[in-house]
Amino acid sequence: MLTALIIDDETPSREELRALLAEAPDVEVVAECANAIEGLSAIHRLRPDVVFLDIQMPRVSGLEMVTMIEPSALPHIVFVTAYDQHALQAFEEHAADYLLKPIDPQRLARTLDWLRSGARPAGQAFPGADTALQQIPCIARNRIFLIPLHEVEYVNTDLSGVQVVGCSRQGVTDLTLKILQERTPLIRCHRQYLVNLEQIAEIELLENGAAEIVTHSGKRVPVSRRHLREIKDKLLIA
Amino acid sequence: MLELESINHLALIGSLMQQMCVYLVIAYLLSKTPLFAPLMQVTVRLPDKLVCYVVFSAFCVMGTYLGFQIEGAIANTRAIGAVLGGLLGGPLVGLAVGLTGGLHRYSLGGFTASACAVSTTLEGLLGGCLNLYLLRRHRADRLLSPAIAFGTTLFSEIAQMIIILAMARPYEQAGRLVAHIALPMIVNNSVGAALFMRLILDRRETLEKYSVAFSAKALRIAERSVGVLMRGFNEKNCRAMASIIQEETGVGAVAITDCEKLLGFVGVGADHHLPGTPISSPHTFYAIAHNEVVYADGVEISYSCGVSRDCKLGSCLVIPLRGEGNRVFGTIKLYEPKRKFFSSLNRTLGEGIARLLSNQVLAGTIDEQKQLLAQSEIKLLQAQINPHFLFNALNTLAAVIRRDPEAARQIVHYLSTFFRKSLKRVGDEATLKDEIEHVDAYLRIELARFAGRLDVELAVADDLLHLRLPAFSLQPIVENAIKYGISQMIEPGKITISARREQDVLTIVVEDTAGLYKPLPDGDGLGMNLVDRRIKIRYGAAYGISVSCEPEQWTRVAIRLPAEEELVPC
Repeated sequence: MLTALIIDDETPSREELRALLAEAPDVEVVAECANAIEGLSAIHRLRPDVVFLDIQMPRVSGLEMVTMIEPSALPHIVFVTAYDQHALQAFEEHAADYLLKPIDPQRLARTLDWLRSGARPAGQAFPGADTALQQIPCIARNRIFLIPLHEVEYVNTDLSGVQVVGCSRQGVTDLTLKILQERTPLIRCHRQYLVNLEQIAEIELLENGAAEIVTHSGKRVPVSRRHLREIKDKLLIA
Repeated sequence: MLELESINHLALIGSLMQQMCVYLVIAYLLSKTPLFAPLMQVTVRLPDKLVCYVVFSAFCVMGTYLGFQIEGAIANTRAIGAVLGGLLGGPLVGLAVGLTGGLHRYSLGGFTASACAVSTTLEGLLGGCLNLYLLRRHRADRLLSPAIAFGTTLFSEIAQMIIILAMARPYEQAGRLVAHIALPMIVNNSVGAALFMRLILDRRETLEKYSVAFSAKALRIAERSVGVLMRGFNEKNCRAMASIIQEETGVGAVAITDCEKLLGFVGVGADHHLPGTPISSPHTFYAIAHNEVVYADGVEISYSCGVSRDCKLGSCLVIPLRGEGNRVFGTIKLYEPKRKFFSSLNRTLGEGIARLLSNQVLAGTIDEQKQLLAQSEIKLLQAQINPHFLFNALNTLAAVIRRDPEAARQIVHYLSTFFRKSLKRVGDEATLKDEIEHVDAYLRIELARFAGRLDVELAVADDLLHLRLPAFSLQPIVENAIKYGISQMIEPGKITISARREQDVLTIVVEDTAGLYKPLPDGDGLGMNLVDRRIKIRYGAAYGISVSCEPEQWTRVAIRLPAEEELVPC
């Protein structure tokens, strides 16, 4: 049995794909998402075997979204697009799987065959995986929004997930600290915290060798002893 | 040397007049040279003054040499140079000319040498003082009057006689001399100065008349031919142009050719110089090949018509027409018939006309290129419709067919309306109604595609629907609002299209609720830029597209156009 997730912002598109997949008895569509941010959350939550991912979606494209998935949770990705020459070229280069809209059922069947046979390698490489993120997709109070990276003061994990704290707003993101550390200039200052160096107003050194960062908007961020040296280095403090 | 007793007054007057004539002939010949140009006005500039000094000193010296030696004295026309030098050049030039002439006379010796030197200097100075006086009184015009020249010379010659009497010794001899030469010299010098001045005046008037007539002719041609060739370098326009030029210049015939064939011919010989026939004249080939003016004047370089032996044309001026990069793209030819005695072919005027024509054609080419560009841009807009929209629409259709065949049938209908409207626009003109229908078909499909995420409001009053605008002005803007606006929204969004008319300005506003507009340097809104460019080319910089945006709230794109009514066929 293959579990599948459909991420596409156009309702008719999702309907059509779901109808086509319904013809394959061993494929179960576990969810449908209308944008990349919900999709990211669903991937982490549902861990599907395969994701049918539209490229052109609001704010965060399918291509951007893949690079935000925690590698350990990375399912098999099948890109779906109506017309996107640049993306198609990139797929060819990266040997990524893709379908063209309107979807040809026979072509879809071939993709499913590959998936069933496990012929496709698990670790996929995607175009754009090494470009820095410019904004972090967040959810708060049933609203999806993007916080531009320069607005972010710090990021931390707590019981509710990964909190992104900006000067004027904050939200929960589905990106992990590890991905954020790799894909953004945010610096690890504590086991549970990443901080934006540009938002540091001052650093208060504590007696136990640790420290506390005060951000421009006055928020406090703990710095563990382990990470203090690194931060000092980055800030060119001896 | 003449003996005083052997001459009589009349004979001396006659002889002096003869030498004055020689003198004036030389002056006349000189007046044809550029050297004379500074003398034709009251000179102010230093180089002009210098020329003035040199020329009149030369006349002074010449006057002395041409004179008759009479018992050690010289009856002469030296005074003319000195007085005119002063009159035209001012006191300093007058003094210098007088001094030069005087010293020269002094060097020749004789018992009146010093008296003549002094008097010549004074004559120059007198002319100069009068120049100063008249300039101060703002009567510069009178400086060139022959009467003034006559009077001044008369007065200064009388003064010279008195000086000779006062200075030359022995007095008896001076007395006898003056008694004989006074009248001839006074008469001849005065008349000579007046005639000299008349010569200067004539020369000046001729030049003025000539240049006035010349520029009037050129201006009239320019005025009458405005824009004729801008509408295209073809047979019809060239014929019109040739007839204007022929009428205005009065030459026998005028032809305009491109590099291969005759485009327009007007005048003598039009019966066999037929437009459309290939160039046959070697002169024209030469002018085209070498980018040079060729003047076959019929004397040094012969001209004979290559088409008909009976052709009456006898001379021809061929001037190349030069376009971009000075490349020859044709010629203009001015002809005169053989029988015409005085040719009015004029190289300078011909070149001026050629330049006028060249500029017009060049301007026309630029205009045409602009039009072509605008046309190709429409094609580009048409072509732009294709991929994204088409495949997404088909994908939507695939889904809708499954669920609601009737709705799918409607989508097919809208799709065909949209493509038909996109492809059918042959002309460049549309009404607001056409544009709204086009956009409506487009939006119906997008409504199905974004099911529930898109809301559309069309708020255009019926009485505006007949207004005209360039085709494809609205659809690219609406497409942008979808592509960079609504489709980028996570929540549902709305597009509002409204139009209003304020006096003579029609403003169409396309607003979306995304507020995501970002001006990109290399044209995300390729379509939008093209629409803007096209409107500006057609109506000027006051019209076109303006964008305002409240981030995350709305983006408003306003298309500003002159409100043009639809042409109602009568």
